[in-house]
Amino acid sequence: MENIYLLIVLAPLVGAILAGFLGGSLGRKGAHWVTSTGVGISAVLSLYVLKRFMFDDQEVFNGAVYTWMVSDGLHMEVGFLVDQLTAVMISVVTFVSFCVHIYTIGYMADDEHNWPKTSLAGKNSYQRFFSYISLFTFSMLMLVMANNFMQLFFGWEAVGLVSYLLIGFWSVRPTAIFANLKAFLVNRVGDFGFILGIAAVAMYFNSLDYHEVFAMAPSLADTQIQIWGDSSWSLMSLIGILLFIGAMGKSAQVPLHVWLPDSMEGPTPISALIHAATMVTAGIFMVARMSPLYELSETALTFVLVIGATTAFFTGLIGIVQNDIKRVVAYSTLSQLGYMMVALGVSAYAAGIFHLMTHAFFKALLFLAAGSVIIGMHHDQDIRNMGGVKKYMPITYWTSLVGSLALIGFPGFSGFFSKDAIIEAVHHSNIAGAGYAYVLVVAGVFVTALYSFRMFFLVFHGEGPRDEHAKAHLHESPKVVTIPLILLAIPSVIIGYMTIDAMLFGDWFKGVLYVLPEHDTLAAVQGMVHSSNGMLAHTYASVPFYLAMGGLFVAWYIYMKNPEIADKIKTMAAPLHTLLDKKYWFDEAYQFVFAGGSRLLGKFLWLAGDRGVIDGLAVNGSAFSVGWLAGIIRHLQSGYLYHYAIAMILGLTLMLGWFVFA
Amino acid sequence: MTFEKFIFYVLAAVLIISATMVITRKNPVHAALSLILAFVASSGIWLLAEAEFLAIVLVLVYVGAVMVLFLFVLMMLDIDVATLRAGFIKMLPLGILMAIAMAAELILVVGPENFGLDKFAAPARHAADYSNTEELGGVLYTVYMYPFEIAAVILLVAIIAAIGLTMRRRPDSKYLDPANQVVVKRKDRVRMVSMDAEKG
Amino acid sequence: MQFDSNQLIPVLPEIYILSLACLVLVIDLFIKQENRIVTYGITQIGLLLAVAITVAVGQPQTQIIFDGSYIRDPMSDVLKVGIFVVSFLAFLYAKDYLRDRDLFKGEFYTLGLFAVLGMIIMVSANSFLTIYLGLELLALSMYALVAFNRDSQDGAEAAMKYFVLGALASGILLYGISMVYGMTGTIRFDELGGAIQKVGLDNVVLVFGLVFIVIGLSFKLGAVPFHMWVPDVYHGAPTAVTLFLGSAPKIAAFALAMRMLVDGMEPLVGQGGWQGWQGMLIVLAVLSMAIGNLIAIAQTNIKRMLAYSTISHVGFILLGILAGTKEGYTAAMFYTLVYALMSAGGFGIVIALSRRGFEAENLDDYKGLNQRNPWFAGMMLLLMFSMAGVPPTVGFFAKLFVLDAVVSVDLTWVALVGVFFSIIGAFYYIRIIKLMYFDKPSDESPLSMGVDTQVVLSLNGLSMLYLGLFPAGLLSICHTAIGG
Repeated sequence: MENIYLLIVLAPLVGAILAGFLGGSLGRKGAHWVTSTGVGISAVLSLYVLKRFMFDDQEVFNGAVYTWMVSDGLHMEVGFLVDQLTAVMISVVTFVSFCVHIYTIGYMADDEHNWPKTSLAGKNSYQRFFSYISLFTFSMLMLVMANNFMQLFFGWEAVGLVSYLLIGFWSVRPTAIFANLKAFLVNRVGDFGFILGIAAVAMYFNSLDYHEVFAMAPSLADTQIQIWGDSSWSLMSLIGILLFIGAMGKSAQVPLHVWLPDSMEGPTPISALIHAATMVTAGIFMVARMSPLYELSETALTFVLVIGATTAFFTGLIGIVQNDIKRVVAYSTLSQLGYMMVALGVSAYAAGIFHLMTHAFFKALLFLAAGSVIIGMHHDQDIRNMGGVKKYMPITYWTSLVGSLALIGFPGFSGFFSKDAIIEAVHHSNIAGAGYAYVLVVAGVFVTALYSFRMFFLVFHGEGPRDEHAKAHLHESPKVVTIPLILLAIPSVIIGYMTIDAMLFGDWFKGVLYVLPEHDTLAAVQGMVHSSNGMLAHTYASVPFYLAMGGLFVAWYIYMKNPEIADKIKTMAAPLHTLLDKKYWFDEAYQFVFAGGSRLLGKFLWLAGDRGVIDGLAVNGSAFSVGWLAGIIRHLQSGYLYHYAIAMILGLTLMLGWFVFA
Repeated sequence: MTFEKFIFYVLAAVLIISATMVITRKNPVHAALSLILAFVASSGIWLLAEAEFLAIVLVLVYVGAVMVLFLFVLMMLDIDVATLRAGFIKMLPLGILMAIAMAAELILVVGPENFGLDKFAAPARHAADYSNTEELGGVLYTVYMYPFEIAAVILLVAIIAAIGLTMRRRPDSKYLDPANQVVVKRKDRVRMVSMDAEKG
Repeated sequence: MQFDSNQLIPVLPEIYILSLACLVLVIDLFIKQENRIVTYGITQIGLLLAVAITVAVGQPQTQIIFDGSYIRDPMSDVLKVGIFVVSFLAFLYAKDYLRDRDLFKGEFYTLGLFAVLGMIIMVSANSFLTIYLGLELLALSMYALVAFNRDSQDGAEAAMKYFVLGALASGILLYGISMVYGMTGTIRFDELGGAIQKVGLDNVVLVFGLVFIVIGLSFKLGAVPFHMWVPDVYHGAPTAVTLFLGSAPKIAAFALAMRMLVDGMEPLVGQGGWQGWQGMLIVLAVLSMAIGNLIAIAQTNIKRMLAYSTISHVGFILLGILAGTKEGYTAAMFYTLVYALMSAGGFGIVIALSRRGFEAENLDDYKGLNQRNPWFAGMMLLLMFSMAGVPPTVGFFAKLFVLDAVVSVDLTWVALVGVFFSIIGAFYYIRIIKLMYFDKPSDESPLSMGVDTQVVLSLNGLSMLYLGLFPAGLLSICHTAIGG
């Protein structure tokens, strides 16, 4: 099996290298073939691994493949930990990535139009794009298959780097450059916490291996440490919160969420890849993987819970007022990530991962469908200009409907099971902040339904596109676009019903995700609903269901039946609308405080520190003195043989004097 | 003082004086001759230590072959002594100072307190039929075979290096081949030319 | 003692190289100048075969034969392979240079192979006598090679200086050996340690002899203040010879130090004090790092610059040895092997830039190399970064391991000195990079290199990066070789 695991990781890397370095000679066709084949191999093998775990009692693999170096007993290795959690993650990652690869063939087909004729970067951009998305898949696989913090960090950073490259893929657009810089910087803030967390682990556990750390964790559960002064900190809380700060950056939690909507500047396939299967789920995965550490600190769990709930509700609200089709989906991603975090916060790790999985399918579906519409609309992304697309793009329409229903948690769809499980788990949780979270996640259901169907109705129903020219050219997308849509629509419907019994109520994650008995909210949920069918039967009694239906109805009424109301509400609640439209002024505040502040500081340091002290005294001063000294000493090398001989004898005499007679 | 000791001191004094002369004589031929004297004196000391073979080899090889060859070279070359010694006087005070320091250090260590008879007992005198040569040969070809072979390789390298550095075929060197000289015919060398007489 | 030819199996590499040298010597006589490539081919194939033979006779146990004159252990196997590989590289880079300058002669390879023989004899020596003879064999071949270009005044002068100072150093070394032998009565390294214990560690004659031995050793290594020959010889010798002289013999010099100080006289290490060789090596290492790096800055000739850089690297190698622990020896061995590779590559580039009638010796000749040949500018960049110790090149790890070893024996101040002078040293390596990338070329002619040189030089440069990213392989080899 070790070879299979290696192949899963390396196949996308090989594809990426071939397409990246030999893209010019491979040609467009060659590039998309090698990368898609690579990821396809990974996907098939991942599904095989998943199958082995499901039906054949595959043993958990945990071993090092290569030891990079050993420093002070700290082993830095490349190693794999493949258990049920990993199997689920790699299957989702590779499957979605594979769909995205196929879809990209259609979406990027005429990418050269996006570049100015003279741009060098525009040359072979098609191949480069394929190289990037394969590399992205590789990074994500390294991240989820890691068995140690070192490799986790490597994957973490690699994912960040490639996302930077992808978001700014259209490097001739200033907005794209701004967005990728923003994504990178915000992630840097998160990574700073993350690496401090890893450092804390290395310092107190003296190991980077998951199993060793987890095994030692209970014995350090009550450790208090002093960071400065006399204030004492719980080690576990500190590690948990620091690592979570990293997750906040990657998984775009408030207040580090600002990069994600802007990242829509990248081509749509990568929006699907980043938001559905890979980058943003890294944080969720990481916290679930670290469950043995998080379980030991209620403080850290509460922190996770509150941040998650805040994200879930407030970013959903912003989604209501957005007009860019991709941004609406982006805010819905933020909100759903919030839900996942909430699940982790109440120790329902399995529910978090479960939602991650279902969300990966329907969110990828929604993004790709949005992309399909964008292709149809000739890259016009404003939903106010759309309408009536249904009759021109039937496949996109029906798959979008499936995705939206799954997103709002319509009974029977995959989102229903995962989201309801989370809400129920919060309901049963007793840790601090659970009440706050419960109110927000329940209210969030209404909001989700509202913004999803607002977009759905505006795009697909009603009058045709306003622009007559666009209308004339509107037609269904090619097969490479629609087939991935259909491929993704199937699991969006059925995956929840099929797997919930095993993942949430069965022992699929037994021994993988660690939950203290007093935190086990999922057991409480199970006590109430028993099974998937039980959940369906409970639908009539659940508040979220009525809220979702309410949201759907309101969306229909406001945007279909009675459009004037929308404008009326807008004027009535103008301050609220502005608040949402400006996204709570996060961007402006960050721009002013952090960007402005650091520029000011930078300028000060440049003038006073750099030019004055460092350039003036340290660099030029020391360079001058070293040069002067060197100029003097070099005269010792006179070139005369007898000088050399005398120097040797002198050295001998002095050393004899020092060592023998001193 | 036994006779042996007397001989030893005489030889040692000769050795030191002649060695000093090697580096102080202005004329290189004198220096070489002093070196021969030093060799002879040290071979005498070898004899006192019952190492006849080494003593004989020292005289045969160094005095008989190496130094004679060296003298030939010296006499054939016109060496400008003045330039060679240009730096000598300038460095002399420093040199003397260091020599004194060095000598002091050596004497302090290599003296009776570390090498005295109380530390190392005098070796027993060998019988008259004891052959130093045989002993040397015995270990040289058994225990020290490997170093001995390496020494042979070093000699080979010395030959290769010497030839490699000195042998050269000059393209401009002129030499005659006697065989060609003998077979030369008149017509090879003489050409008959008939010319019209100059007019006017 | 019953003689059994099986006993000769461990010594096969030496026997083989000697036979190879003689074979090359004889065959070369019957080869016309235009077919000289045959001599080269035999030498190179022979060196590769030597690697195979060394690996074949290698085994984890230690074997001592010839009445204690010869030792074969994992360390000797690894170092021999290193010497063969680096010599192979050196001969390969040198080929075009020699051919362009009418120096393409059989003696180069004969003498080169004898030098290799000298090195592997040192690596496998188990007595003072053997190690000294190996040293002389190496030195003699080198003297001749330095003067190889007989029309070069500089070469002759350099060879003369090297020879006279080398003889002086040999004398010092022998004097020290005689003192140690006088006290202990043995020249075998495997017996020396016990004999030293018996005589007593505070014996003044032993320390006296030790000083002489360490000084003889530091001359061979080129440590300050016994380094004076290094720049002149590197500068004066033909670049092809400098390349050879500056790479493989460092491995042999490391073996020299390991065999004499560690195998033979480890009890005299003098932990934490100023009596043993640890203290002496601290003095030498600190001086080497300081003087080497400082003077290198003032050089405008790249061969001289690399000579001073060698001196500073030697300081680092000594740093590893003076730690006196397995960890330190491993680090020093790693450093030595890496340095030999770096040095071969660096001089390889110097040779690649030179051509008939033009020696790329001045730093200004590197101006704008990136525009003339971006690929080899990149290789030079890797090599220079590696020498400076910039991650992720292997030079960084080499320095890191050494410093780690020194710190772990509580000699933090020495490590700090090392770091300090590394920073100063980084200047002149990075200056070359600056010249290559940010200055306009003064000479636009393209580089002329054979395909073989291009391929191997590229591999050489990339190995800096590869070993830097994956240092564990080489490190574990060194670890096993030291037996820690």
